[in-house]
Amino acid sequence: MEYDQAVPLKYVINPDECIYLTKGKCGNCKKVCPTGAVDYDQKEETVKLNVGAVVLSPGFKPFDPSRFDNYQYSNYKNVITSLEFERILSASGPTMGHLTRISDQKEPKKIAWLQCIGSRELNKCDNGHCSAVCCMYAIKEAVIAKEHEGDDLDCAIFYMDMRTPGKDFEEYYVNAKEKKGVRFVKSRIHTIVEIPETGDLEVRYADENGDIQIEVFDMVVLSIGLEADPNTVKLSEKLGIDLTQSHFCNTSAFEPVNTSREGIFVCGAFQGPKDIPESIVDASAAATAAGQSLTAARGTETKQAEMIPELNVKGDRPRIGVFVCSCGTNIAGVVNVDAVKAYAEKLPYVEYAGNNLFSCSQDTQDKMTEIIKEKNLNRVVVAACTPKTHEGLFQETLLAAGLNKYLFEMANIRNHNAWVHKDAPELATQKAKDLVRSAVTKVALFEPLEEAELQLNQTALIIGGGLSGITTARSFAAQGFETHIIEKDAQLGGQALCLYKTTTGENVKEKIVELVDEINGNEKIHVHLNATITSVDGFVGNFKSTVDENGEAKTIEHGVAVIATGASPFMPKEYNYGKDPRIITSLDLDKKLMVEDPSLKSMNSAVFIQCVGSREKERPYCSRVCCTHSVDNALELKKRNPDMNVYIIYRDIRTYGEREYIYKEARKEGVIFICYSVDNKPVVDIKDGKLTVTVLDHILRRPLEIETDLLTLATAIIPNQNEQLAQFFKLPLNANGFFVERHAKLGPSEFATDGVFLCGLAHYPKPIPEAIGQAKAATSRAVTLLARKTIHTSGQVAKVDPMSCSSCMVCVSVCPYSAPSIAKEGRFAGKAEINPVLCKGCGLCVASCRSGAIRHNGFDNSQIFSQIFTLSQVA
Amino acid sequence: MPKNVIGSVMVLGGGIAGMQSALDLADSGYYVYLVEKGPSIGGVMSRLDKTFPTNDCAM
Amino acid sequence: MAEWEPKIVSFLCNWCSYGAADLAGVGRMQYPANVRVIRIPCTGRMSPKFFLAALREGADAVWVSG
Repeated sequence: MEYDQAVPLKYVINPDECIYLTKGKCGNCKKVCPTGAVDYDQKEETVKLNVGAVVLSPGFKPFDPSRFDNYQYSNYKNVITSLEFERILSASGPTMGHLTRISDQKEPKKIAWLQCIGSRELNKCDNGHCSAVCCMYAIKEAVIAKEHEGDDLDCAIFYMDMRTPGKDFEEYYVNAKEKKGVRFVKSRIHTIVEIPETGDLEVRYADENGDIQIEVFDMVVLSIGLEADPNTVKLSEKLGIDLTQSHFCNTSAFEPVNTSREGIFVCGAFQGPKDIPESIVDASAAATAAGQSLTAARGTETKQAEMIPELNVKGDRPRIGVFVCSCGTNIAGVVNVDAVKAYAEKLPYVEYAGNNLFSCSQDTQDKMTEIIKEKNLNRVVVAACTPKTHEGLFQETLLAAGLNKYLFEMANIRNHNAWVHKDAPELATQKAKDLVRSAVTKVALFEPLEEAELQLNQTALIIGGGLSGITTARSFAAQGFETHIIEKDAQLGGQALCLYKTTTGENVKEKIVELVDEINGNEKIHVHLNATITSVDGFVGNFKSTVDENGEAKTIEHGVAVIATGASPFMPKEYNYGKDPRIITSLDLDKKLMVEDPSLKSMNSAVFIQCVGSREKERPYCSRVCCTHSVDNALELKKRNPDMNVYIIYRDIRTYGEREYIYKEARKEGVIFICYSVDNKPVVDIKDGKLTVTVLDHILRRPLEIETDLLTLATAIIPNQNEQLAQFFKLPLNANGFFVERHAKLGPSEFATDGVFLCGLAHYPKPIPEAIGQAKAATSRAVTLLARKTIHTSGQVAKVDPMSCSSCMVCVSVCPYSAPSIAKEGRFAGKAEINPVLCKGCGLCVASCRSGAIRHNGFDNSQIFSQIFTLSQVA
Repeated sequence: MPKNVIGSVMVLGGGIAGMQSALDLADSGYYVYLVEKGPSIGGVMSRLDKTFPTNDCAM
Repeated sequence: MAEWEPKIVSFLCNWCSYGAADLAGVGRMQYPANVRVIRIPCTGRMSPKFFLAALREGADAVWVSG
C-alpha cells in the first residue's frame, strides 16, 4: 500500500521483494490475514479491450538530479529534491509534518531552493524546456516552511527568471517576497560544497552587483523539473504518435488535445509540462474531444445500476442498526470497539449492533445490506470515519437495502476521536460512546426525504463569440446539443482576429474564418450578433435569459450557460504612447506583420518593452502571453530583416513550457535581452525626430541609450466589464475583474453556481491553445450535466410550514441563494415558499424565522436538540 | 462519421488528469477503462503536501 | 479527586470547520477529549436556543465555528 489515503486502499505484494515469491519461503502474511485475502497464485493477465477512443494521461517523470555531479544529490544527505521536501512538509510524510533534516533530525534555520534543475538545460541534460511549475511550487514550499517554523527560518530561492504567469500566482510571489520575507536571488548556482563536520552546505553565487557571495545553508532543495517518462516515449513509438523536441506529445494550437493519430487524445503533463489546473482543463478537453468522436455511440456501452424499490417506513417505529467500524487498527487501536458495540446495543430503538473491520470494503457493504434486510432495520448509524468522505458510500448501501438514503447518520469516531486522542484510550472510548448515542438519538428522528427531480433543458447558451465561445459552440453542436452564441459585436472571432500567428506557426485569421464559416453553416448553432443579455431568470437546467439583439428583445430558454466574454488589450498612457506613430502595441505590430508592412524590412532597430500595465500596483497580475508574443514577433522581424537590431527590455522572461525553445532561438538569432526592474523603468524620448529608449544595463551598471525605429509596448490584457453579467448569474469576480472559478485547482472551467461554466480570457489571460482547451473543458463539464437529462436536488433542504408563516419576508431577505419567495397563487398565496432546487440547505432562514415556520430536513430543531440533550447523559 | 463507433474509451494513466478525464467521460455516457500501472490512482499530486495559491491540502 | 475538566460542545459548519476537524485527525494532531462535536450545515443554522440548551445540559463552554 502506498499511503493511508490510497484509492483503492488495498495492500499489494511487491513481487520483487516478497521472500515467498522469490525464494518460496515465509508465507507469513497469508497466515495472519484474517480475511484470507492473500493469494500468491495471482498472475499477470493480458486483457484485450475494444474501445472507441484512447485518452493518454501518463503524466511525467520527476527529473532525477543524481546525474548532475555538481549538486552531489546522491552523496550529500541534506541536498534533497523538491518532491522529497513536499513529503517532509506533509503530515502523512516521514517526519509527520515536522520540518527537520532527515539525516540528523536537526531543525533547519536556513534553506535554499535552486531552480531549473533539469529544466532549461541543454548542456548537462537534454531538457531545453521550462518545466512551468517549479517557480511556483518553490515559492509555495518556502512560504509553508516559514509557516511551519516561524519567520526566523531563512528561505532563499535562487532563480534565473521568476515565472509566475498563472492566475493569482504573481500576487502569491509578491506576497512571499514582501510580506513573508522569502529571499529571491537571481543567480544560477553551479556547485554546492558540503561541510563534512556539520553536513551544512556552502553555496557560492554572484549577487546582482556581480559580487561573489558565499552562504551556508542547512538544507538545499533542488527544484526538479518535469520530463517525459522513457516508458511513455516507448509507448508513443508503439502507438505511432509524434513527439516534440523534449519528448512531450506533439499537438497543434487549434487542436491542443489531439495527438497526431486519429482517435488518440492526450491530457496532463504529457501534453507539455503544466500544473494541476491546466491538467484538469486538458483532461476535460480530452474527454470532450473523445466524446465528440463517439457521439453516435453515447450511452451504448454504459451499464445502468439496478434500482432497488424503496420500502415505505414512514410512521414505523425506529429499528436502528449500529455498525461500529474498527478501520483496521485506526479506530480499534485506541477505542475499545467491543465496548462501544455493547453500549450501542442497549440504546433505545437499537435492534442490532455489530462490528466491522473495514466498513467501507465491498464485502462489508454487501454484508451490511443483508443485515439491514434480515433485521428489518429502518435507520442506520455507522460509527467510523467522516461523513465528508464516506456518507455517500453508506447511503448507497442503504439504497441497495431498499431504504431511503436519508435515514442514515455517521458517528465520527476516527477523525474526531481515535486519531486525535491516541494517548487516552479510555477517554476516547467514552467519547465514542457519546458520539454513537448522539447519532442514534438523532437518526431516530429522521424521516425519509424526497429529492426533487428536474428536467434539464438540453440547450446551451454561450456568452461571447470569440475563439473560446465558438470553440465551445462547435463542441456542443458536435455532441448534438442546440447552442446559442451571444456576441456583442457585429461579427464572430473576437480579439483572436487581431493576432498574426500562433507560437507553433499557424495562421490565426485563416483558421478563425474557417471556424466561423463552420459555425454559420451548422444548423444546431444559433448566432446572435450585436446582442447583449438584459436579464437572467431561473436556475440550473431551466434558465430563461432575455437578449437584446439589434434593439429587439428575445427570450432564450437554456439548461446551461458558458461565460466566454474574453478580455481586451490595455491602452497605455506611459512611454509616450499615442505621441508618435513609431510607438505601437503588440497587436499593432501583429497588424503590420499581417499586411506585410514594407517598412519592417528597412528598419535598423526595434525595441520591445515588456510588462506595460502588468505586474504593477494598479494591475498586479502577469498577463501570461506577452513574453512569448514579443519573443515570437522579435523573431519575425529578424526573419524579415536579419540585420535589424532587436531589443527586448523585460523583467522576467516567462516563456513557460516548451515556449522556452523560441526564447533560446531568439537569443541565437541575436535578439538582445535587457533586464529592468519595476522601480527603474526604461525612459522613452522623442527628440528632433529621434526615438530613443534609455534603460539601466544591469551588467554594465550604467544607462544604455538605444535609438530605434519602432517601439512595441507589450501591454497588459484587461478583463471586460463583467459586473452586470456576474450579477445576472450570481458569479464572483476577483480584485482584477476576472471571473472566479469554482476551485482554483480542481474546478477551473466551472462556477460554484450550478449550470454555469467558464472559459477563455474571461477566466484569465492565456494563449490560443489554452483558451481552446478550456473552451472544450467547459463543454465537457456542461455535457456531464446535460447527459443526465434530469437532476436530483438534495433532500436536506429547508421547508416552510405555511400555516405558521407570518409573511415577514426575513427568509427572503437573508437567503444568499434567492431560494425563498412569497407564493403568488394557490391556497398559501402571500406565504413564503422555498424552491428546493435553489436551496443549498444552509439553514440561515431556519434560524432567522421568527415564527418558527421553517423546518430543516436533516438538521431540524428537534434533531439538533436531541443531540444536545444526549450530552448530559452518561454512558 | 463512421457508423460502428464503440461507446467506450480507455484512459491510460490514473493521475489527476486521467482521473478527471475518466470522470467526465463516464458522466457523459461513455464506458471508461482507467488503466494505471501502480496499485493506486492519484499520481504525483497525491505526494504533494499542499497546493497554492489557496494552500489547500493536495489529498 | 481528579482535577476539574471543562465540558465543551462545539457546533461545526459542515463545509469548513467540520472538515478542518477531520484534517486535524488526518494530521494526527492531539487534543483533549473533552469536546463533543455537533455537525450543522452552516453556522447560519445556529440558533441562540442551541447555546442555551447546551449550557443547560451541563456544557461549560460552547464553541461555534464556521
